[in-house]
Amino acid sequence: MAETFAVLGLFDHADALLAAIGKVKSQDLGGPARLEAYTPYPVHGLDRALGLRRSPLAGMVMVMGILGALFAMVMQYWMSAVDYPIVTGGKDPTSWQAFIPIMFELMVLFATFTAGLGMLLLLNRLPLFGHPVLGSRAIRSITRDRFALAVEAEGSGFDPRAAQAALEAAGAREIEWLPAPDTGPFLTAVTIQRSLAGIAAACVVAGVLTWGGVKLMPVLRPMVHMEDQPRLSAQQPSRFFPDGSGMRMPVPGTVARGYLPPPFKTPEQAAGLVNPLPRTREVLDRGRAEYQVRCAVCHGALGDGTPTLTAAYGAKPANLVAPNIRAYADGQIYGTIVLGKNAMPAYAADLPEDARWAVVHYVRALQRAQNAKDEDLP
Amino acid sequence: MKAERTGTVGTVLWGATLLGAALAALSYVQAGPARFWANWLVWFLFLLSVALGALFLVAVEHLTASRWSVPLRRISERIATLLLPLAAVALVALGAVPVLYPGARPEAAADPLLAGKAVWLGLPFFALRVVLCAGLGILAVAVLVRGSLRQDRDRDPAFTRRARRFAPVAMAIFALLVTQAGFDWISGLAPAWYSDVIGVYLFAGAFMAGLAATALALLALRARGRLTAIRPDHTYSIGGYLFAFTVFWAYIAFAQYLLMWYGNLPDEVVWYQARTLGAWRPVVLLLALVHFFVPFFALVPRDAKGDLRRLAWVAPVVLVAHWLDLYWLVFPALGPAPRWSWPELGFALLFLGGALLWLRAAMARGEDMPVGDPFLGEGLEFRL
Amino acid sequence: MEPESAVLLHRLPPFVEPPEDLRAPALTAGPITPGELDDQVLAFPARRPPRKWYVAIAFTSMLAAVGVFFIGVTFRVGIGAWGNTSPVFWGFGIINFVFWVGIGHAGTLISAILLMFRKRWRNAIARFAEAMTIFAVMCAGIFPLIHVGRPWLAFWLLPYPNQRGLWVNFRSPLVWDVFAVSTYFSVSLMFWYLGLVPDLASLRDRTPGGIRRVAYSVLSLGWRGAADHWRHFEKAYVLLAGLATGLVLSVHSVVSFDFATSIVPGWHMTIFPPYFVVGAIFAGFAMVLMVLIVVRETMDLKNLITDFHLEVMGKVILGMSCLMGYSYAVEGFTAWYSMNSYLHHAFMNYITGPYGWAGWLTMTCNVAIPQLFWFRRCRRSYPWMILVALAVTVGMWFERFVIIIVSLYQDYIPSAWHLFKPTVVDFGILFGSFGIFFTLVLLFARVLPVIATSEMKADLPGAQPGNGGSHG
Repeated sequence: MAETFAVLGLFDHADALLAAIGKVKSQDLGGPARLEAYTPYPVHGLDRALGLRRSPLAGMVMVMGILGALFAMVMQYWMSAVDYPIVTGGKDPTSWQAFIPIMFELMVLFATFTAGLGMLLLLNRLPLFGHPVLGSRAIRSITRDRFALAVEAEGSGFDPRAAQAALEAAGAREIEWLPAPDTGPFLTAVTIQRSLAGIAAACVVAGVLTWGGVKLMPVLRPMVHMEDQPRLSAQQPSRFFPDGSGMRMPVPGTVARGYLPPPFKTPEQAAGLVNPLPRTREVLDRGRAEYQVRCAVCHGALGDGTPTLTAAYGAKPANLVAPNIRAYADGQIYGTIVLGKNAMPAYAADLPEDARWAVVHYVRALQRAQNAKDEDLP
Repeated sequence: MKAERTGTVGTVLWGATLLGAALAALSYVQAGPARFWANWLVWFLFLLSVALGALFLVAVEHLTASRWSVPLRRISERIATLLLPLAAVALVALGAVPVLYPGARPEAAADPLLAGKAVWLGLPFFALRVVLCAGLGILAVAVLVRGSLRQDRDRDPAFTRRARRFAPVAMAIFALLVTQAGFDWISGLAPAWYSDVIGVYLFAGAFMAGLAATALALLALRARGRLTAIRPDHTYSIGGYLFAFTVFWAYIAFAQYLLMWYGNLPDEVVWYQARTLGAWRPVVLLLALVHFFVPFFALVPRDAKGDLRRLAWVAPVVLVAHWLDLYWLVFPALGPAPRWSWPELGFALLFLGGALLWLRAAMARGEDMPVGDPFLGEGLEFRL
Repeated sequence: MEPESAVLLHRLPPFVEPPEDLRAPALTAGPITPGELDDQVLAFPARRPPRKWYVAIAFTSMLAAVGVFFIGVTFRVGIGAWGNTSPVFWGFGIINFVFWVGIGHAGTLISAILLMFRKRWRNAIARFAEAMTIFAVMCAGIFPLIHVGRPWLAFWLLPYPNQRGLWVNFRSPLVWDVFAVSTYFSVSLMFWYLGLVPDLASLRDRTPGGIRRVAYSVLSLGWRGAADHWRHFEKAYVLLAGLATGLVLSVHSVVSFDFATSIVPGWHMTIFPPYFVVGAIFAGFAMVLMVLIVVRETMDLKNLITDFHLEVMGKVILGMSCLMGYSYAVEGFTAWYSMNSYLHHAFMNYITGPYGWAGWLTMTCNVAIPQLFWFRRCRRSYPWMILVALAVTVGMWFERFVIIIVSLYQDYIPSAWHLFKPTVVDFGILFGSFGIFFTLVLLFARVLPVIATSEMKADLPGAQPGNGGSHG
């Protein structure tokens, strides 16, 4: 039946308090009780007198500090060397030296928060607003200049009168009985811990959802800075030009790169040109690829003028492996590709210069292949 | 019986010193002058930093007028007296200049990078600086230590006043000596290289060495039943400062390395290339281990800082680590592979033996605590 | 005394009694009881402040408003409103940042490092100094935020997973700064707030009722002075002090890395980390000295913030000035010793050329003028103290100016050389930051206890059992 929470005895000096602890401990308090002291500042020797164990905070801080350092190293290493390695300043992406400053700072940060919040929330269980001592008369003196020794009830059977007698015998100047609180304390450290845990969990869930969402949806508004650029994109209107259109024709005389008009007017005039590409495997492969895309449809896969076109097409493509084309100079074949001939259109716009020469090599290869002599066989 | 034991220790030390001297002299012939001078230099710098660290402890106590450290001051003063024989060692060390210091050679005048400072790097001016610094070191010891010993007898607080006024001068002398040692003795080995923090780096190492030597001396004296009035609070302070300066040394050492690694300038990285790559890599890793990680984790628990048993092994580890630091700074001038063989052992015997002989004699002079100091009583009560 | 000392004493003649002139004075001028201490210090938040407080805060708020206005101009117009130009890409923004972070270091040194050294005289000034640290770091933090071209994207400096798939460049000292300064702010705030909790509890119990009582109740977290709590509290406080000590070294070293990791001539000096830390302590102590002079006079705290406190701070300033002199000497020597013509040129620019006046001003204010503190008279008289403190503040600002502007305006390529001309926006933000800082200081003095009463009470004579006064 603990209607009394505790009996408080006030003392004027720290010496008196320490002496009193010894005396009260040796007395019979008539029931289950524990001692607690309340002081305006930390008093040396009080822990020992009350039999309090050492604070585990130092070990906690060391562990969390080391964890912070490890976390910082792993985070930086993963981000800089594994997930998106970039060479900055000529430094190897896996180099560790530049990671030390942040490692130290995060070590201190983790350690600090452990020390501060660990002390408050975990070890001291503060904030706690409903404690009976806070509502007592004595608290004014306790935070000012007096020292209090409290005999607190631990269960039913606590005898406040015996406690009072013990305190008075030990030299207390004033005695105060603290009634047990009728309402539970509010906004306690436990509530805060639970709230923080809840917020942390919510953040983790939100983070995972965001990450998943971002992976699924490439573009999430409102972070569309690179999308909406203040520049003129295709098919956008523009008030800068009189006709209001953003799209403009090229200036007359514009030439696309690599597409300068040829210096010859007929393929025969191009006969003097020399094939600048070497006859290598890569060039021939390229020639074959281009030929199959551009030329085979009319001239046939073997170059013999048997195309995949139907007879409905009308025009008859040249047989490239026939003697007359075999007699052409390389430059003449090149010139035909560039200017076209009869029904064949000009392929200058479809084939850049080096592709054209690669096709010339391939046509030569086809001519030789289709007119092979016995000595050509291995 | 005690005299017999003392006699035995003395004989052993003399024997070791003489053996070391013989081995050292032999190494000049057998292993070459460069090896000889490198060893001489490392041991000179090691004992110099121990002595300067101890001097710093004495000077800073007078500067801050602290009371708690008064009982310990005599130990540091005695260690600081090493500066007296070290003056002679420094003058002999000048023999290393033509051998190990490229800037002092005549070819330096032709090198475009060295020509402008050939006068500075040359032997005459170098020697002048060494003589000046040795003189200033002796001055500081004379004022602070001799006065303190005299105060034992005449109990005159005038010395305390004088020491407090001299303390800033002693600090200036200390700063000059560590900076000179850094620029001349150490970075002179690679005259194109320079680092302005080398003086601070040597300060950090010297302070750690001085603290460790003081701690060891304290333990040695306590083992002989002396200095029993020193409280656990005193040893906790020594352990605490040793811990703090372990971190400080690591900070300065790493900061210098990081800046040179980051800038990656050819004329700066040669220093670290010679000391962190190839065969020297295990040495620098060992240095980081014994100079930082081991003392740090050994001293981080609060109880460990004041624990005499813990200090009994941490202090020697710190001294070995400091020696290794200087070995790592100097020996790469000899070649790309670390050398460790009988010449090094010989020099260890010579210099350790010699230093211990000197310190043994010093520990017999005067009282173990500055009994004439007005604040000894309060210092014993650990008043701050 | 311990038995061992007594035995020892028997073997020696009795101890010499220390003469008065060698003794350190008592920590308070005149005896004071814990109750009187509370009455003196904790009465301020309850009273109306004197008229000069209103005048002062009106002035500082106006200055702060000017600063905020010019920050708005910067947001609207862009960094072009500042004097930054090619090649001086870093101007007042980073000068002010480094300056303010430096000012903050004094507070941490006083409250954390002096706690580690167990110097009892820190107790009277630690709380105020810590508050100044927090406000200085807040002022410093403004500058990285506003000096980026798009301040609304400043959060890109933090490594969070994003749809660009990018991470920050951990090898950049500017990112190290982000972590260092935010850690420093958090740690200082935590340290300051924890120390305040018992004092807020005292305020709570003195306040009869009303909103103030509720505010103090909430902020003091229900602190009741339980011995069980004090034990964890003291441990946390000492651990935080140790951690903060490491931070003082690391934060300003990381700030110095902004410069020293580059290869700009005059910046790439290995002495920068400890040199910046010393400079920070130096500048911070000067600011704390000035503020404390004002506080002890206007709040009538001369018996708690005694002449001894001011004098010992003067000695620290003197010591730091000598260390700065050492750094300048070593840098000057190295500039010659390096035989590097670029470094030569950079160093000559410190003392000659268009900004040579700034170099001379710096050395005069930082090395020459503080030497006045060798003289006891100057350490004990307000005009001299304020002169030296002002000189140091100006000198340290100009030192950052010299380091940054002079090294940048003429570096490797002569065709890129260009003078730096600060604009009115630059100056407006600089003076505005002083306004913000002092406004916060004035508000702090009005609302919270400026002296750590519970810490001071623990060290008064007779406070601890067993002997007169504590000994750690």
